[in-house]
Formats: sequence, structure tokens, C-alpha cells
Amino acid sequence: RRKKKNRAAAAIATADRGREAMGAAVAEWTVAAVLLQVAGLSLFLYGFFPVKPTLPGFSGAESYRAPSCGPVGCGEGPALPPDQLRSLYRELSEVPHVYDRLVLMVIDGLPAEFVLGRGGKPPAREMMESMPYTQSLLAGCRAVGYHAKAAPPTVTMPRLKAMVSGAIGGFLDVALNFNTQAFLDDNILDQLHTIGYKLVMLGDETWIKLFPTLFYRQDGVSSFYVKDTVEVDFNVSRHLESELAAKDWDALILHYLGLDHVGHIGGRQSNLMTPKLKEMDDVIRRIHAAVTSIQDNSHRTLLVVVSDHGMTEVGNHGGSSYEETDSLALFIGHSVESSHCSPYDQKEALQVDLAPTLALLFGIPIPKNNIGVLLPELFNSLADDQKLRTLELNSWQILRLLQKQRPAFCSEDCVDSKDDFGADMLPESTEKKLCRLLSKAFASHRSSLLHRDSNFRSVEAAGLFGAAVDSYSGFLRHASEWLSHRATDKPLYLLASAISLMIISCFSLAGIISCIFKGPPQIKVEHHSELDLDKNWHLDEVFILMGIFLYVASLGSSSFVEEEQYIWHFLTSTLYLIFLIKTVQSILKESNSTLVHRSETKTFHKNNSSYLASYKLIPGQQDGCKLYTVLIVLVAGRILRAWYQGGINWVHFPDISKILNQSDSSIVKSLQTISVLAVVVLYSVSLMLLRTRRILIIGLWLSHLSCGLLVMLHIWKSQVDTSVPINNHSTTSIAQIFYVIASISVTCTFLLSPWIFPTHSKEAEPTSSSGSNPEKAHGLNHSVFLTGVTYTMFWCLLQLLLQQPINAVPVLLILLQIISSVIYFSLEKSLHRQWVQVVAMQFLGMTGHFGLGNTNSLASIDVAGAFIGISSYSTVLSGVLMFIITYGSPLLLYLGMVVHMSVKDSNDISTPQQWSSVLSRMIALPCLLPLLVNSIALTSYTIVLLLMRNHLFVWSVFSPKYLYVCAATVCTYAGVLVIAMTGAYTCAVLSFRTRNYRDKSVDQIDG
Amino acid sequence: MGAEVTQVSAFTAVLAHALCLAGLAAAHSLAGRGALLSDPAHALRLLVVCEAPLVIVVFSLLRRDPKRCSFLKAAARGLLGLPIGAFLNAFGAIVLGAPVGIKYWIATTYWSCLMSLFTFVPAACVFGASKVDWQNVLSHSIYGTSSNVADYMISAPSHGAVIGAWLGAWPMPLDWERPWQEWPICVTYGAIAGHVIGMLVSLILIVAHKRRVRVKAD
Repeated sequence: RRKKKNRAAAAIATADRGREAMGAAVAEWTVAAVLLQVAGLSLFLYGFFPVKPTLPGFSGAESYRAPSCGPVGCGEGPALPPDQLRSLYRELSEVPHVYDRLVLMVIDGLPAEFVLGRGGKPPAREMMESMPYTQSLLAGCRAVGYHAKAAPPTVTMPRLKAMVSGAIGGFLDVALNFNTQAFLDDNILDQLHTIGYKLVMLGDETWIKLFPTLFYRQDGVSSFYVKDTVEVDFNVSRHLESELAAKDWDALILHYLGLDHVGHIGGRQSNLMTPKLKEMDDVIRRIHAAVTSIQDNSHRTLLVVVSDHGMTEVGNHGGSSYEETDSLALFIGHSVESSHCSPYDQKEALQVDLAPTLALLFGIPIPKNNIGVLLPELFNSLADDQKLRTLELNSWQILRLLQKQRPAFCSEDCVDSKDDFGADMLPESTEKKLCRLLSKAFASHRSSLLHRDSNFRSVEAAGLFGAAVDSYSGFLRHASEWLSHRATDKPLYLLASAISLMIISCFSLAGIISCIFKGPPQIKVEHHSELDLDKNWHLDEVFILMGIFLYVASLGSSSFVEEEQYIWHFLTSTLYLIFLIKTVQSILKESNSTLVHRSETKTFHKNNSSYLASYKLIPGQQDGCKLYTVLIVLVAGRILRAWYQGGINWVHFPDISKILNQSDSSIVKSLQTISVLAVVVLYSVSLMLLRTRRILIIGLWLSHLSCGLLVMLHIWKSQVDTSVPINNHSTTSIAQIFYVIASISVTCTFLLSPWIFPTHSKEAEPTSSSGSNPEKAHGLNHSVFLTGVTYTMFWCLLQLLLQQPINAVPVLLILLQIISSVIYFSLEKSLHRQWVQVVAMQFLGMTGHFGLGNTNSLASIDVAGAFIGISSYSTVLSGVLMFIITYGSPLLLYLGMVVHMSVKDSNDISTPQQWSSVLSRMIALPCLLPLLVNSIALTSYTIVLLLMRNHLFVWSVFSPKYLYVCAATVCTYAGVLVIAMTGAYTCAVLSFRTRNYRDKSVDQIDG
Repeated sequence: MGAEVTQVSAFTAVLAHALCLAGLAAAHSLAGRGALLSDPAHALRLLVVCEAPLVIVVFSLLRRDPKRCSFLKAAARGLLGLPIGAFLNAFGAIVLGAPVGIKYWIATTYWSCLMSLFTFVPAACVFGASKVDWQNVLSHSIYGTSSNVADYMISAPSHGAVIGAWLGAWPMPLDWERPWQEWPICVTYGAIAGHVIGMLVSLILIVAHKRRVRVKAD
């Protein structure tokens, strides 16, 4: 009903005020709809990605008592000095602490596969050989390693938080990865600090941002220069000798970034990988030698080697594939030593298990929001009852968390519930099952203690002990799984209202568009020509509607979301094939009718004074031209498809980019050079089309040329630099000069282009201005054309600068597709309605988005490019660059739409008063349709996400895609803003100039 | 009127479609069950070999102007149309994302010959180089407006085959890991299914058309 109201209101508003006011009304309604959409989107984001209910504060002495269901307010005891607190904890825990000192070595991005192999098989030989010391420790049963599964998103900061706190943070943590802030939740580092441990941190400065006041000594290195793989680790290792000799610290944290950087540059198989692994192995050897040399009772040291995440075959991370989540947890210390072991068994754990394990090993309370489970192999040196006590402490902590999230978990209820016969038969709720497991565990724990006290039969005691351990671990595993997988209670009413806001906005956009189509009849009359479209639906229009429907339907399937590039390519190519068929059909029709209507066709072509068609083509040439342009779009699209295999499942299939990556770098370099040259030449050609030698045009050409040279210079410099992985300042300053020149040229064009073209031909009599005056339209068309072409070509150069070297040709291909489409649409004006043309260009943009190697996984975002030309760290700037790289193709198409606007037929402006109607006709559809299509995609995907909130892949597939959809919305807003601003400004200036000119000529006549 | 001479009866249409179907069935029985899965190139070759002579003969008999154009000439047009249509279909498929590796080359060739038999060859046999007819068969406006039974017989099955093949390509990117997701197996299934449905639709249209004509005559 609201939709109807909106449409009715819009219809009444437009009908009342007439055409002059209609443009304003449309603009107002559009802005209102967009604002509604933004409001709905932010509400949904707020509701869907919430902070999970967590327990506030830090664990203290109360964590050694059984949890109760009553009010929590047992009051914080007086803050004890560290030493007393330490002894209090050790007394309460009834478990001796196993270690005194901790060395936590984080190797960023090291997949566990490199050390532990995969599927029960040892790693590849070269991997074994590159880490000889670590492998000897594993083989000698002096170390134990786990495949510690990291939760997505696999980027550094959320993973560090998970390791120290044992909690899996919200999904949006990834957005804050570049903007780390102090970590305030309960975690083992703060706990260690409270009991008086002195902490030293060397390595990634993320730690310092997370814990700004915690460290006794620190030396942070920045992960900013992704190309640097040597310095970044040297800056950590240079302190190693002095730190290992010093005895004043209790916990040493080392974070090596180099391996991750190697991965980002060259992937898993990079030839820098082996030396880097050797370097890491050497560090492990040095630390282990140092800590074993001072092994006495007060300096028992645990060396933990962990990685925060793995990496894909090409070295990216962020997603949830096995390769990315397969991170390492390797423990080296006295408690894991045993006489026999099988080091390459696939031992699975969770990354969060690190927190409770370390907490219990060092005798500190387990962090409050931990969902991890202790790793039993680490406690082998303890007696049986002490092992049970550690399990009990872990269970109590998890039970507290469960009670917070579900009040149903009252310990009395849980513990007192008697085992019912046949309980296993009935399908029971997860909560009931957890309760049953827990009560069983407590019961067998109690009886095991009883038996031990009475010193009954040792066989039975051992049996009871085993049963207790089993039921404890059963409870812990299930509870941990339940906690990590549990979809948090989403405020459904909030989400529903957010979605309804989006739906309203979607329908009001549709309403506005239908109003424009229905609008005052004068607008329609202007389109009439001999071959005008009838009222019937055409094949391409039906296909577009069906294609959008199919796309929306495909969003519901996780497999299609993973492989979205196929859908876009398939739909776009089909659309252009339909264009091809329609063109062939119209050529056939024309040649059938030429014999009869030759003269009329001729007049039609003469009338057809579009910008590009002003180069008179004879009909045969024009037909050929139409066919060629569509063929170019199709073939370029196919090459783009083959450039990147893309997606998630078939990403390992061969494609052009992989072949080029393996081939000589000079080929890539020459391809880049060719692309830059082609862009420069295309710009020169399009400037020549304007047939004017104004100073601005020549200036623009020169600045574009110099920008092209700068890009080439940057290409050559950075090609040389990959062998020497040190960031140098010359490339940065080249990029900065490029930014300055390009932004000045584009701004100048935008501001000046409406002023330089004549609004009236010199001979035109002022009195004839009421008649048809093609020159005036040419003024408009020329200036918009110049602005559009300048936008497009500078944008292409920017993309060539920022994108990976391999993406140069795809950028050029997308540019070719745009140019061909624009020429095709300008030649074939009457065959396709304008909205079909606009949607076709938007489809091209989305296809190109995937053609540039983007996928719906966060791993494919090109982080390295986001720092080109930035000399100091800035979250905003690098974020903007990352956005520009990722959404290069859709934005390029929006800029191309400005060119498309300019080649449209608009020579039927009868009076100068109608500038506003020219404006609304020119920009209404190019602005509204992208907004509508995007709104449909956004709204339907939001609904899909809400429906899929309990799906297994909601965090790994659907949520990253949702971030992409949101970013695409921002991209649409940006593109539409550019189109609207350009159109509005040009029309305003031209109307001002026309009025001035008329006034002047009237004055002359009067005089 | 010239069209009256070439007007095809409904029975002839049924017979022609039945013959074409028989060709498909024969190829299927020759190849054996599941041959398309295990050896798509072989199965497609059998399909083409069985179907090609039938289609060319049947549609050459139905040629548009039997007086001016001999049967042999129509058949020759059909033979010439086979590679041209195969090329166009292969172009369409590759542009839409069909793999171009050497591994797929033979299968693609046979598949596009089969598609050509479904789409291009009948039209080439019947219409020859008549531009008006080609323009008609390309457009969807033919349904309901055409007065010629042969138009329905050609366009409905060929449109059906194209749409079926297009829809058949949708499961290909999915990660179900079924053997039939390989190019060109599911596309062939889709094309054949669409072709058969198109035949049925054309028969229905022909019957409806005849009835309309009769009512008008009454």
C-alpha cells in the first residue's frame, strides 16, 4: 500500500506542476528514496552484525568457584598487589602452574601445512628441508603441533584478538583491521600483566595498538610496506640476542610479518618462501637453544609458535577456505615431551583453544568470553585429578558464558537433572544435551575423586577418570562448537523494518521511473522517427527483466554467490548477442525495404545528426560498423572471462593471468605499455573528433600525455623493484605527481568545458533562436562529450597505475567495450530504448568487475595497490584507493555513461527556456536506472541474507558478499553523483550563457 | 497466392517431426545408455550422423518454392548451411563462455553441428537466401502472425533448442561435481529437450492455426 501511496503522490506531484517542476520533483523523490535506502541499510548492518553478548570485566578469583545462577554481584574484591594475586590464584586453582615463562612467536600467514603436512602426510620434502630444526623437534617428540583452525575473516587483527581472548569477534572486525584500537576485553595478556608478569613485544605494531600500555619493552614494525620482506623481520630479530640473554621478562611476544608479505608478493610457491622459512626455523632454533640452556625450576619456558592465518595458493587471505584457515599452533616445552608420538597426524584444534590452554598452564583465570577448549596434550605432566580440575575450570568458565547467553543454563537445573531413561532416543535440544553432558561430567568427576580418596580399586578409578575426561571433553567440544556457530539472536523486528525501508525505497525508485515513462506526452513526441519503437515489449527488454530476476534468484544459492562471475558474463554476453540478432534483423529488414523506401531511409539518416554520426557514413558502412562494435564487445567480454578463472571452487583452473604470471615479466610489462599507449591514442582520437583547437583541449591532451608517461615510468620502476624488495620513494613521488596532474585536469575540464563551445553559430540570427537550432545542442553535446571522455580516459590511466600489472589488458578491454557500446548505441538509436542501453552498460560494468579478478571473497581485494603513492599511513586514503581498485570497472562504466549521454540525439530543443527539460531527459534515466538496479540487488540480497542467517555458510560466503553489495551501493551513489553533477552543471552554465547571449542580441536590436 | 501451394498439412508436420525424433532416438540407441556422459564426442558424432541426412531430406522436401528450386538444390543449401550454422552456433557458445581448450575442441565442433541441424539447416533448406523469411524466423513476432505452417515448424523447434541450451548451461558453474556438468553435456541435454518441446509447441501452433483458418473460411 505504501508503494501505491508513493507512486500516487509522485504522480500527483508531477502532474500538478507540469514539466518544468517535474525535474525538481523527480530529483527530490530520488534523493528521498536514496536516503531511505541508506537508513534501511545502516539499520540492517547494525542489526545483523551485532556485538555478541559478552561478559564484561575480567575474570578473577571467582572463576575458581562453581558458577551459580544467582545475581552476579558478588562484588569485586579489593585489588590485590600482583604477587598476592598470583599466589591466590595458584592456591585457588589447586593445579600447579606448569610453566613460568612464555615465548609466543607469531609467524604471520604461515599455513600449518608447511610444518605439519596435510591429511596425516608429512609436508613436502622442500618444506621439511627448509625447516630442519622444527622438524627435528617434531620427530623427536619434543614438540606438539596442531592445525589450529582460524575463524573467518582470516585477517591479522581479529585473529590476534581471538588468540589472546579465546573469543571470536564480530564479523565487522575486518572493517577495523586497518584501524586497530585498544583491546578492552578480558584476555590472557592482561591477566598475565595483573599477576606481575613483565611482557616484551617485538614485531607487528598491531599488538601495540591493541595493548598500548601493557608492554614493558616494545619495538613495533609496520605492516605498511607490503613489498618489504627483509627489513620487517630483521627489525624483530635484531633484538633477539639481547632479549634472550635478559632475564627480566616473563613473556616475550615476537610477531614476524615477512612470510605474509612473501605470500602477498609471490604466493605459496614464491622463491622467497624457502629462505623465509629457513630464517624462521633459525629463529626457533635460537630461542629454543636459549631457553633450554637456562631450564631450571623457576625458569620453565614454553615456546609457542603460532600463525594467525594461512594463505591461499596465490598468497591471499581473508576468506574461509581450508588453505586460509589452516593456521599453526606448535608447542615446545617440557610438558609435551613424550617417548613416542606421531607428529604428522592431522591434529585438529581451534585457534581460540590457545587462550584457555595458556591460561591454565600459567595459572591465571581463563578469559571470560573464551569459547576455546584446553589442549590436553599440554597437561601430560599433571596428575589425573589435576587434569580433571583443569577440565572443570574450563567447563565452569564456559558454563558462565552459556548462562549469560541463555539463562536456561542454570547450574542447579543442569546438575540436578537426573538421567532419564530413553533420553537418547528423543530428539533433544542442544541446551538439554549440553546440560546432560555437563551433569554427567560433574558426577563422574565427583565419584572419581571419591574413589581416589578411598583408594578403592585402581582399575575402577582409572575407568572413572576416563569417563570423567570423556564427558568433560564432550561437553567442552559441544559447548564450544555451539557457542561459535550459534547465530546470535538477531533483533528480527529491527531487521524487518530495515528491509521494509529498503523495499519502500526500491519501489519508489521504480515508481519514479514509471512516472518518467508515463510522463507528459511532449517528451515522448520528441523521440518519434520513422523507425520508432512500438509499444510492444521487445526481446532485449524482456531479457533484461528476466535476467535481473534470474540474478536475484541466483543470489539465494551459495554456489552461485561463490561463482557470480559466470552469471554476469552469461547475462551480459546473452544481452549483446540479442543486440547482434536484432541488428542483423534490422539490417535484413532495411535491405528488404530499401528498394521501395530508399529515399526515405536517406532522409532518416540525414536527420540522424548524432555526434558521432556527423561523420557521414553511407548506410552499408554503418551496418558494418554496428556489427563490428557488437562483435568487439562480445569478443572482449570473452577474453575478460578467460583472463581470470575467478570464483571459489574452480579458481585453480588455468587462465590467462596464471599463464602470464608464470611467463617472463617483460611480456607483462610490454602489455602494460601497450595498454597505456592505447589509452593515450584513444584519447587523442576522441579529442580530434571535437574538431577544435582550443587551448584547453591542447592542454588536456598534453596533460593526459604526461600522465601516460608517468604511468609508464611507474611501471618500469616498479618492475625493476620486485627483485629488490625495498620500497623506494621515486615510485611514490611519481604516483603523487600523477594524482595531482590528473585531478587538476579533470577538475578544469569539468569547470571549463561548458564555457568553451559556442552556444550559437555566429551567423544565427537571434530571432531564429525559437526555431530548431542544432548548433546549440552541439554546444551541450560537445561539452558533455569532452567532460565524459576526459573522465573516462584519466580514470583508465589511474586504473593502469593502481591495478596489478596483470590487469592492464582487462582495463583496456573494458574501455574498448565502453567505446564500442557508445558507438553502437549512437548509430543504432532507434533499435533499443534508452533504458536498455543504460542497463546494458551497467551490466558491462559488473562483468568487468569480475573480469578484473574480483570475487565475492574478501581474499581477492588487492591490498598492495592501496598504498601506491601514499607516503605515510592513512586509513582513509588507502581505503579510498582500495575502493577505486576494487570498483574500477563499474565506476568506469558510470563515467562512460557521461559520454553515452553526450552522443544522444538532442537537437530538438525548441526554446532556450527548456534547459531543465533537456537536463531531466539527459540525466534522468542514467541516474535512476543504476540506482534502481542496485536497489533491487541490495534489497533482495538483504532478504536472502536474513533468510540464510542460520545457513552453514552465512559467515564465509553470504556475509562477505553482503559487504561487496554494500560497497557496490556506495559505488553506484558515487557514479550517479558524477553523472548528475556533470549534467546539471553543464546545463546550468549553458542556459546562463544562452540567456546572456539573447539579452545581448536583444539589446543590439533595440540599440 | 503462392503460399497456398507450399502450405503443409498438419499430418506432414507431425510426420516430419516424428522422422527427426526418430533420428535422435536411433542415435541414442546406437550409442547406448550414458554414452553422452562417458564419451560426449562419440555420442554427439552419432547424433549428428543420424540426424543430418534426415533433417536435410525432410526439410528439403518441404522447401519454400518447389517449382523454381529442385530437391537437390535445397539439399545442397542444407549441406552448405551445416558448417555455416555450426560456425555461428560455436561462436555464440564460445562467446557465452564455452571452454576453448584443445581438450574440448572436438566436442564443441560436434555440438555446434548438432545445434546447426536443430536451428540453421532446416531454415537453410526451406528458405534458401530469402531475406524476408530469415528476418521472420529470427524474430519472435512470427508466433501468431505468420500464415505459413512451415514457419512454425522451423522457428519453434529452433528457438526451443537455443533456449534449452541456454538454460542448460546454468548448472555448469555449480560445485555439485557431477559428470554431466561438463561442457557440452548438460547444454546438449538442454538443447535436445528444448528442441523436442519446440516441436510439440509447433504442432500445437499448427493445429491452432489450421482451426483458425477453417473458422475464418466458414
